[in-house]
Amino acid sequence: MFLQILISGFVLGCVYGLIALGYSLIYKSSGLMNFVQGDVLTLGAFLGYTFFSLLKLPYLVSLILTVLVAFLFGMAMEHFVIGKLLKKNVLAIYVVLATIAVQYILQNSIQGIWSTKMLSYPQIFSVSSIKIAGVSIQTESVFCIFMSFLCMAGLQIFMKHTRFGTAMRASAMDAKAAQACGINTSLSTGISWGIAAGMAALAGILLGPIYGVFIMLGSTIGRKGFAGAIMGGYGNLIGAIVGGILLGVTETFVAGYLSSTYKDMIAYALLLLFLFVKPTGIFNERAISE
Amino acid sequence: MSKLLELKDFRYSYGNIQVVKGIDLYVEEGEIITLIGANGAGKTTTMQTISGLTPASGVSGVIEFNGKQIQKLPGYEITKRGLIQVLEGRHIFSQLTVLENMETGAYLRKDRKGIREDIQKMYKLFPRLEERKTQLGGTLSGGEQQMLAIARAMIGQPKLLLLDEPSLGLAPIIVKEIFEAIKRIREDGTTIMFVEQNSKIALNTADRGYVMQTGEIILRDTCENLMNNEQVQKAYMGVD
Repeated sequence: MFLQILISGFVLGCVYGLIALGYSLIYKSSGLMNFVQGDVLTLGAFLGYTFFSLLKLPYLVSLILTVLVAFLFGMAMEHFVIGKLLKKNVLAIYVVLATIAVQYILQNSIQGIWSTKMLSYPQIFSVSSIKIAGVSIQTESVFCIFMSFLCMAGLQIFMKHTRFGTAMRASAMDAKAAQACGINTSLSTGISWGIAAGMAALAGILLGPIYGVFIMLGSTIGRKGFAGAIMGGYGNLIGAIVGGILLGVTETFVAGYLSSTYKDMIAYALLLLFLFVKPTGIFNERAISE
Repeated sequence: MSKLLELKDFRYSYGNIQVVKGIDLYVEEGEIITLIGANGAGKTTTMQTISGLTPASGVSGVIEFNGKQIQKLPGYEITKRGLIQVLEGRHIFSQLTVLENMETGAYLRKDRKGIREDIQKMYKLFPRLEERKTQLGGTLSGGEQQMLAIARAMIGQPKLLLLDEPSLGLAPIIVKEIFEAIKRIREDGTTIMFVEQNSKIALNTADRGYVMQTGEIILRDTCENLMNNEQVQKAYMGVD
């Protein structure tokens, strides 16, 4: 029981972590919030379903295609909506509102393209469960955790140890100085939005086979990912992962041992507690304006 | 000598307010030029617009670099062409280490060996940067940040180095050190144009100077002549 709950807590937590990473990345690069994250997860789940189940492509190919499409969606959104608004010098809050508008447009489009019915992925792996310490765990869950960690580690390496990642961090810190160093800062902002969307879609195609695919799949998860990002320290990449996993595991244990009725209440109470007691999050990101 | 940079009837406006009102200036290859003037004269706007770092919608007139018009190009394109600026207020990447800051200055270069050699050259010019290479940029003192900003720009291999207020907020002894380094960079063959509020050190360092006042250039001459100019002495050098 304990191990099973822990694993499903980790599955959920990893998904929150991927979403939270996207929030943090966008906050760092643009100083904004993108509420489309959750629905890009839904998009990812539907795209994955289409590639894998309808077009009969191998799962890994479907996964890569899904992430790629979402990456382009994120870049396009930054270029055609966010960037255009920022050029008009509107206040940040209006840009955030625009992301909410895009969120509903995307949600409705998904509904129009696919369906309002719950879809389920056919079995992905030939082995449907793996035994760990005598407990059998769904293969998809193990794969979800594995892929999430791979993606998170990949992002860390990319941001910290590649020329382009360092350039992206530099443009997030000081766009003017980055320009003066020869960095195309609007491109690097666009790529941040692309990566954020790509990770959300990855979460979708990993979670779809476990939870099923439906139109509202991403909306609660999107909000929880946001909460996870805050707990970890909003804008901190490692914090986003830790915060997301913490939230997922807590929530699953509450549901498992207490009652699933109260899991959301407790999750958000935890968020409020962080906001009051430690707004800088676990990793001490700047939270109080000077 | 050919003109490396030339501004012809250059103007800049923020909305309806014109802050630079039609100036002409040039920098020849190998020269070191200074632009002096009081606060609010439009010096920083001029410098940042040359580097493509202000909104392009406010520019009119012509900025030519290496014989090509650059006034509509984005900042990173201008850097790519070899015109690199050390910004006013230094603009160090505070969460990157000293070494990462310098490597970011080499963003457009592919020659790893050359980059390493240039970093060593900068360590020789500013030994304190080597001592602090693993420290975060934000933890450096003002003088060290200025050194890092100059080093970061130099690693980009500029044909023309622009410096905006390199002495800003620094102790006199550090100012001296920074200007010694600027002179050495010039001796090594880099053309330089700099803005400076400390007119005395500016005129002692540069070959020629431009004096700017409320968006216009009111005087242009060799630094020697400017130093002996009564108007300059009164207004900018505190001589009564």
